[in-house]
Order: sequence, then C-alpha cells, then structure tokens
Amino acid sequence: MQTRRSFLKFGAGAAAVGALAPLTVSANSSDVKWHEKHEIVIVGSGFAGLAAAVEAGKLGAKDILVIEKLGVYGGNSTLNAGQACFANTDLQKQLGIEDSAELMVQDQLKSGRGYASEELLKHSAELGPYIYQLTKDCGCVYRDHIINTGGTSATRSHQVVERSGAGFIRPMLKTARSYGVKTKTRHKFEHLITAADGTVLGIQVRKDYHFGHEDSGTLINIKAEKGVLIATGGFGANVAFRQALDPTLGNEVGCTNARGATGDGLIAMLSEGAMPVHLSFIQSGPWASPDEGGFGYGAGFSLYNFPHSIAIDRNTGQRFMNETADRKTRADLEVQRRDKDGKPNPALLIAPKHEAQKDPSMENVLRYNVAWEFDSVDAIAKHFELPTKQLKKQIDDWNKYVKAGEDPQFGKRMNMSTGIYLTAPFIVQRLWPKVHYCQGGIQINTKAEVIAAKNGQPIRKLYAAGEVSGGVHGVSRLGGCSTPECMAFGVTAARSMMKA
Amino acid sequence: MKLLNTLLVLTLGACLAVSAQARDKRDYHEMVYDSGCKTCHDQGLKSFPSDESCLQCHDMAELAEQTKREGHDAKQNPHDSMHYGQEAPCMECHGEHTKKQALCMDCHNFDYPKFK
Repeated sequence: MQTRRSFLKFGAGAAAVGALAPLTVSANSSDVKWHEKHEIVIVGSGFAGLAAAVEAGKLGAKDILVIEKLGVYGGNSTLNAGQACFANTDLQKQLGIEDSAELMVQDQLKSGRGYASEELLKHSAELGPYIYQLTKDCGCVYRDHIINTGGTSATRSHQVVERSGAGFIRPMLKTARSYGVKTKTRHKFEHLITAADGTVLGIQVRKDYHFGHEDSGTLINIKAEKGVLIATGGFGANVAFRQALDPTLGNEVGCTNARGATGDGLIAMLSEGAMPVHLSFIQSGPWASPDEGGFGYGAGFSLYNFPHSIAIDRNTGQRFMNETADRKTRADLEVQRRDKDGKPNPALLIAPKHEAQKDPSMENVLRYNVAWEFDSVDAIAKHFELPTKQLKKQIDDWNKYVKAGEDPQFGKRMNMSTGIYLTAPFIVQRLWPKVHYCQGGIQINTKAEVIAAKNGQPIRKLYAAGEVSGGVHGVSRLGGCSTPECMAFGVTAARSMMKA
Repeated sequence: MKLLNTLLVLTLGACLAVSAQARDKRDYHEMVYDSGCKTCHDQGLKSFPSDESCLQCHDMAELAEQTKREGHDAKQNPHDSMHYGQEAPCMECHGEHTKKQALCMDCHNFDYPKFK
C-alpha cells in the first residue's frame, strides 16, 4: 500500500511537470528531420495496439512499429483478470448458453445509462467471434468455464487459463513479432507531428525513456506512412488529472492500473483538436481489496465469489447491495461504507469456503493476506467488530433466498447460486473500490478514426482504439467488455489503415 | 562566526565531492567500479545504462533458473513471470544507486526474501 500511495503522489507531480512542456508541435513536412520511417506506427502495447499489429501483419503490412513507454510490454492489459465478453461463441453453445450480439449491446446500453454509443458497441459486439478466433489463432487458451460478470443477462465472459490479461498479451506479442512487427520498450510518445492541414505525418518519441524521469532519453521523429494508431490506454494512474474530472477520486481511492496509465496519448490528441467525450465517467472496480496494491489477487477472488456470497456493512452487519449489480452501482455503495468519523470502513465479502476453494484465487488471497479464513459467524463478528446478532440473521435470511431462488432484499439474479449455501468455514475479504477504467476519451467512429472537435470530421491518418477512446460504454462499462472492444477497434484501425 | 562558516563550507564541499564520486553502490559490484563508470553507463554518464548493459555479466535464463519457484508459485518467478516472461529489464526492479523494489510489488504482496 505504501508503495502505491507514494507512487500515486509521484504520478501527480510528474503530470504537473509534463504540463509545463510544450504539448504540441505542428510542422510542415519539409521542416521535420525524420529519424525513422514506418508503414504503420502503433503507440501502446496493450490489447488494442497488439491486436492492430497482428491484424495489420495478417493483411500484409511490411513495416509495423509498436512502441511502449514502460520497460515491459502489455501496459494495463497484462494486469487484468484475462476476461473477454463474446456473444455467440462455440464455447457458449457447448455450455448451452443462448446469447447474441444484440443482447450484449442491450446489456451495455443499460449500464451506459443513456450515454453509450449503440453504433460503436454494435460494431465491437459483432466483431466478437472474430476476435475470439484471432486470439485462439495467436495461441491464447481459454478455460472451459465461462464467467458471469455483473450487469449481464447471459453468461459470456470467456477467460484465458492464466486468469490474467498476460494470457492474451504474451501470445499476441509473439504472433505480432512472427509477422515481423518491430516492438520497442522505453519509447515514450511525446506528441503528434502534423502538416499544416492537420494530417498526421508522424510522432515525436522519447527514446530510452525511463518512467518518472521526464528528461531521460533522446527525442526522435518517426514518420508514419499509412497512419498512427494511438492505443495508450486511460489516465487512472494520473491522480491530478482524474481528480480534476471527478473530485471524489483523490488519493483515498487506489488504482488498479499499470504505472503508465497517465493519459499522455489522450492529452496529445486533445491538443491536436480531437473531440473529448465523457471524460468524467471514471469507473472504480467494486471487487478490489485495500489490503494489496493495484489489481492484485483480490479482484479475482471477488469476481468468482460475488454471485454466491454476500457483502456486509461493518456498522449494521447487513447487506447493502446486489453483489452482482453493475460496477458503478456497487462501487458507489461500497465507498459510502464509513465509520462514525467518516473514515473509510471497507465492507466485508463473506464467501463459503466449500465453493470458494473451487477457484485458485482462494489460495492466493489467503497466502498473501488479502483474505482470511474464519470457522464461525461469531469469529467473523469478533474479529471485525460486527453486531453478531444482525450478521447471523442476515446469513440465515440469505440462505433462505438461496433456497427460494429469489432475493427480496436486493433483487440479485439467484440462478448463479443455486444450492450454494453460505455455511462455515468462511473466507472473508475486505472491499474498497479502486479506480479501474476511464470510459471517457477522444471520439472515434466505426473506422477507429479520431474525430476533430471543430468540424466533426476525422483527423486524417490518426486512429485511436481501446481505453483512450471515449463514448463507447457511456456512464459505466460492464466487466469483461473492454478487452474485446480494445481488440475490435485495434483490428478495425489496422483494416482502415491498410485500406486507406 | 567566520571560522564556523568556513568550516561549514568545507564540510559541505567534502560531502558533495564524495557523493559525486561514489554514490550509493553495491559492494559486490566493486570490480565493476574499478573498471570505470562507463562499464555500465554505455550511453554516457548522464544517461541511464541501456537495458543490455547489465546483461554483459548477467544472463536472464540463468537468473530465471536461480529464482525458479515450484508448483503454485511457479509463475511468480520474477525473472520469468507470468506477465512479462524473461523480458522485464533489470532496471525495472533493481537499482544500483537508488533503492527500488520489484515491479510485482505494485500489485502483489509477494515475499522475495533474497531481493537485492
């Protein structure tokens, strides 16, 4: 925790320094000294960037460059739970799950609370089965089990066996390289280089950059013949930036993101006149634990156990939410759990060990002090200072709901917990939201072209995909729905560049 | 008073000189220091060494073997991790002149008792 906090403080400082530097350089092509030239230039090595690299390689691009700011590949994508919602896959059919792209879009529109883009969601959902196959062709291996994530009306979150985005990133990186894609770490994108008419010619990059040392390395200009794809992710780790957009997201709330999620690509595109969309819609993950940094192991444990477990307020000993509602609903309710002085008093997720032990996440959270085992309700109440009577009644009531298949308290979908009673021994993890995903970003269209604010037209030769783009999900993104969207728009950007 | 100031200046000066010559360092790298700063600082003294610099002496596959973990912990091998394989450059986790901690610790409460 200490590390994360000191890092976050530092991140804010770094952002302030960045603000002093010139944000943009427009130049005539004749004035620019180009150090390198490539057919396609991709900024960022997460899902969007690597999917674009693989697709462009498949389409016959000969000279593709992927740059990454950090010393390691994968950005934030390599740190998540490795889930991707696809509708209408072979695996769903095998498991008897009925689903469709239309249904997936409907679920997402609902969670987007009227702000999501139906056009972009539809484009992404329809590409789902293609992306599913593309990842398998890269060597990604899925579990036989499909996960149920919050806010969905059909079980559709396919998960790689690693239970981590690394299970996508590493095979995709390898496949991209097999197509001859050049990959470089410690290359920080500084700004776009544009012609007088706004066409993007290339980018300026800080080569040999070390994160946090803003003047490290040397500046080089890289020309992009077919276009530049900005796939730099979100800004969740930039506390000053996110708090300016949402005052509730200061240092009190942690962050699941990789260090590099500071919004550089977004800021550079804004300074070139890209249309900002929904920047204040910043999502916190309701499955996070305050007892470790970043995404950690707690998220995986909560994700597996939410359907058949209960979340308890420590003051009342009672449930306070539908544990499988969408992320915003849950995170907003979790952050309201306070002691009498208004200080954070994280809620408790209480899971039955007999079910929790079926997932490897249990061993991880127990081993690394992210969750603890208790052999009775009294032991939980004593350890966390809960009102015992109320807690006992709540657990009895819950077990009646499990039996009846109906949750009169919060309307939870109970077919996920059929026959799974909450009995001792229990595994208990604390819950406190962490900033997880930026729904906002710059506007793109279904060709992954970046839209200019001044005229609503695409900025020539500028593409964006993934978390840096905004407006796709609206107010709240559903779990497992960014991974396929990042890849779908990465693939789309590659197709657009190869067609242009 | 004047004498005190002079002494202060001298002492401060001495401290600065020392820090410029020999900053925090690892004793077991003494022989590398004997060969000169450029042994590691292959991109100039004011720049970070390249990611290949440490690999003049260290071998990633060998390190991966040395820090190998079994069973459940196999993927927590910092030199061959689930997230980054053997591609994480040394300086992401290790510092020579500054104290650092393993990149993994940003998100995990791992125990690396022999971390240097």
